[in-house]
Amino acid sequence: MGFRRFVNVIEIVTLVVALGFVVALFANEPSGGGATARSGPGYDVYLANCARCHGQDGQGGVGPKLAGGAVVKAFPDPADQIRLVEDGEGTMPSFKNRLSTAQIEDVVAYTRTELK
Amino acid sequence: MTASTAGAVARASVPVKLLGIALAGAAVSIALGVYGRVHDPTGEMPYTLFFSDTINLKVWFATAALFLAAIQVLLALRLYDKIHVPRTAPPWLGDAHRLTGVVTFGLTLPVAYQCLWALGFESTDTRILLHSLLGCFFFGVFTIKVLAVRTHGLPNWLLPVIGGTVFATLVLIWTTSAVWFWGEFGFPSF
Repeated sequence: MGFRRFVNVIEIVTLVVALGFVVALFANEPSGGGATARSGPGYDVYLANCARCHGQDGQGGVGPKLAGGAVVKAFPDPADQIRLVEDGEGTMPSFKNRLSTAQIEDVVAYTRTELK
Repeated sequence: MTASTAGAVARASVPVKLLGIALAGAAVSIALGVYGRVHDPTGEMPYTLFFSDTINLKVWFATAALFLAAIQVLLALRLYDKIHVPRTAPPWLGDAHRLTGVVTFGLTLPVAYQCLWALGFESTDTRILLHSLLGCFFFGVFTIKVLAVRTHGLPNWLLPVIGGTVFATLVLIWTTSAVWFWGEFGFPSF
């Protein structure tokens, strides 16, 4: 009987946590600080296409870290970075059919100058 | 109301119950899909707990959920007398089955939240589209299972079929995420 009561309690707690996650989906909009304070075409392109793997602040995730000068160190010449974004490599997808040349240049510039 | 009339009503109500349960599950799946599509993905990594990264947390939580789900299937097989280990089923077997299911569900919550809130419903490639669809389907079919457990008078075959579907869906979700991650980036650290 004690075990059943324990399971009942766990069930209720889990239900409450689940409801909390549902509420958070609607209430927990991105914070005003950090990367969300940035704006501009490069930021918009980055958020829509790159942040899911590289993190909103370029801190890395599934993809490698870009912030803190990491991307400039990896690609001293911006043209090499543009080429990688256009053609892809390994798990990095190609964006040449998804983004315009101007968008790719914007996002590359953004990652090199704004992701501190 | 005669006994035969009451029986007829009870029989007639089974399709209605099934329809109601199915509609509830479909509503959950569709609601999640619509949210994932309409919501602007934040790309944020909202939590890491004691892991080094949110992605690692997701891979390990999904793996733990699958492990517990497999245990739950084994417990269900014992409950239905399909396996005979242990030889005498302990009285707490049903509660243990419930507990593993609840904890499995609890482990999927932070994973699904990060998927929906930070990444959204994506169709970038086949794997991601499949993963998005399965993720929405999982919570719908899980809803159906929970409602079916608590609804009396349903066909005996329903729970094993729904339970099997939940487990199979979880396996596919895990394959299109954690297994993919291992293949692409190697075994994740904590």
